[in-house]
Amino acid sequence: MIFGRHSVLKRGCSTWDPKQVPQAEFESRLDGARKAMAQRDLDALVIYGDNYSFADLCYLTNYFPKVRGGIAVVARDGAPSVLLNIGSRDIPFAKTLTWVDDIRASNQVGAAGAELLKEKGFAKARIGLVDSGQGFPLPQLEEMKRALPDVRWTNEDALFEPMRLKKSAQERNAMRAAGRVLDGIWHDAQKVIEPGRKEYAIVADIDRLARDAGAEDIRILAGEKRLQPPSFNRSAGLGTHWAVYLAVQHERYWAEAGRTYDFSPDAKLQAAYQKAHDIVARMAAQLKPRNPVAAIEDTARRQLGEIYPAASAYGLGNGIGLNQWEAPFLNDEDARQVGARSVGATEFAENMTVALRAAFESEGKLILFGDSFLVTADGPASLLGR
Amino acid sequence: MNGMQEYKNRTSKIRQAMRDRGIEALLIFDSGRHNFLRMNYVAYLTDFISVGPETMLVFPVEDAPVLFLTPSWDIPRAKDESWAADVRPFREFWSYLSKTPAKIGLIGREAMHVGLHDEIVKTLNRTPVNAKDIIEDIARRKSEFELERLRKAAGIADAGVRALHEEARPGLKEYELAAIVEYRMRSLGAEDNFGMVVAHHHNNALHPPTDRVVQEGDIIIGEITPCIGGLFVQICRTVVLGQPAPVVQEKYAILKTAMRLGMDAAKTGAPASDVAAAINGTLIEAGYEKYCRPPFMRVRGHGLGCGSSAPGNLEDGNQTPLEEGMTFIVHPNQYLPETGYMTLGDTVVMTESKAEPMTRSSWNLYVKE
Repeated sequence: MIFGRHSVLKRGCSTWDPKQVPQAEFESRLDGARKAMAQRDLDALVIYGDNYSFADLCYLTNYFPKVRGGIAVVARDGAPSVLLNIGSRDIPFAKTLTWVDDIRASNQVGAAGAELLKEKGFAKARIGLVDSGQGFPLPQLEEMKRALPDVRWTNEDALFEPMRLKKSAQERNAMRAAGRVLDGIWHDAQKVIEPGRKEYAIVADIDRLARDAGAEDIRILAGEKRLQPPSFNRSAGLGTHWAVYLAVQHERYWAEAGRTYDFSPDAKLQAAYQKAHDIVARMAAQLKPRNPVAAIEDTARRQLGEIYPAASAYGLGNGIGLNQWEAPFLNDEDARQVGARSVGATEFAENMTVALRAAFESEGKLILFGDSFLVTADGPASLLGR
Repeated sequence: MNGMQEYKNRTSKIRQAMRDRGIEALLIFDSGRHNFLRMNYVAYLTDFISVGPETMLVFPVEDAPVLFLTPSWDIPRAKDESWAADVRPFREFWSYLSKTPAKIGLIGREAMHVGLHDEIVKTLNRTPVNAKDIIEDIARRKSEFELERLRKAAGIADAGVRALHEEARPGLKEYELAAIVEYRMRSLGAEDNFGMVVAHHHNNALHPPTDRVVQEGDIIIGEITPCIGGLFVQICRTVVLGQPAPVVQEKYAILKTAMRLGMDAAKTGAPASDVAAAINGTLIEAGYEKYCRPPFMRVRGHGLGCGSSAPGNLEDGNQTPLEEGMTFIVHPNQYLPETGYMTLGDTVVMTESKAEPMTRSSWNLYVKE
């Protein structure tokens, strides 16, 4: 799994175009959540999200927190409510990003969340807590539970996972749009990645390309020998080799890819990069409905041979969507890294979206290639349109 | 001052505080969910900004600390860049924890997930005491090592303001305008930015940028907050595209007066609330009392985290004394019914007697013809 340095504020373009993702899409998701609640005999759901991990909260409300976290409260009937850790003057802007009418603000989400649940009649109830990103701050959660001694809490972190595995038509459109943004960045980035330039200056150029294309957020890791976030301390000029991982969030959805730039005449490095391409292509060829998810690792193991253990350090891939890392996970260890209880699916299905990557060392340098894909009836389709 | 000397200074103070409280080891946690209003305790003792979900520094009172982290592939960076010599995969934390001494303090509960906390309690067979004040007390006065980084960040913040002055123009989308500021600062080494730049003829509040096209006559408001080495400096400024209506200059002058009086009130030893009182007093005198309260306004500045966020919010009731070495933003940002929201603010450092601004940009309303 590739983690980038998390920004303190989602500061890119923040809009919602209801023509692209209409309210009816969210109402349908709400119906799905309520069916799951009925199956589990839950009176209400509390869904937590923050700017690090907003997928479940956003799936239902379209809202993604910019700074600190918040919760949605969903009952078996009636309108949902959203309580955010923002100032009350920020509510009008928050409302431009969601279809939910009842938006509230508090800097004490735990205590105010308990009051909201009481107001809705859930002082004595069975409530499912959805915190798949494991972000609900402990003191706030303790405060909420303390204020509701008669509530029976159940962990429902995985409740939305089956609904989010296969992307709807609107989600596929959004992910293709994110992929196109990413592809455009790679195209233009070639002009700014030059030996001798400071790494953080190149990162600034790439960041600008992404933000000018309307990205909501960006993750960049890069290096000659390993992936690392940019630092003001690393001011030496770029050498002849640079591997770059880039993930872009655009209209809520992530797409990721990896590329390697080598300016040396070393044919071995060029061949290694071609090998990384080939490995990703072979892994992607497994992205067919009803193929086992484990086929990705089997393919990589065959292709990589003895370097497989080292080459899987960054992970060979993962599901991607509202979260940079989501089901289907390729193995239990990958799932555990992000707090998921299982891989989420053992077989691929049409309309799943998966990021794949090959990263290994050659001649002491890091070779990286990766792309994001949609599983179609005919096999994989690159979200970057390549 | 070099990093290792700084590390030695910090650790010797923390170890003394641990001895005073009878604590044999600290568990210091960060989740990688960086928040510029909260301190990153692990970074304070390692100079390492993590990327993964779990970073735990085990800090014994006598022995060398051990840094456990995810993902494992980031360990070489931690070994190269952090002050911790012993860095291990997070999965090894559990066996190490079972061998740690009896009296343990926990720092970083605020960033911790309930599942992780429960597992620690289960492994220890007791709940560790919350010991965050040990680091908070030591860190609230910034060292010369930190001030050096903050001065660099302040210079970058000023450069961000200059970029706005030079490149703001009608026809840009808000997010392109914000990207211009971000680009200038990243090109100079800024690692992150709590940055909001938006434009409207009547802004209601700051918010992340939208796709609205900037118009002639717009008031551009900006809260620009670059980060260097995990430390943030904020600057707030207002720009008008084209000659502003007289009322805009007139009302902006109130913000400048409030800023000056707020700065004057920031005396070393005075409570943080004095700054808020001076700013609010200016606006109340100008007839805007109701606009000094929610939903219009709340705080008149705040500490800037990842380092210590002391003295907290500049608001009524905050009796925290301002101490030499504290850094925080003073910002009389204000919604006024005649003009909308306007911004003005500087990060300051408390000297022996008063607040000194770290940023240098003029307080004047910038008119871009």
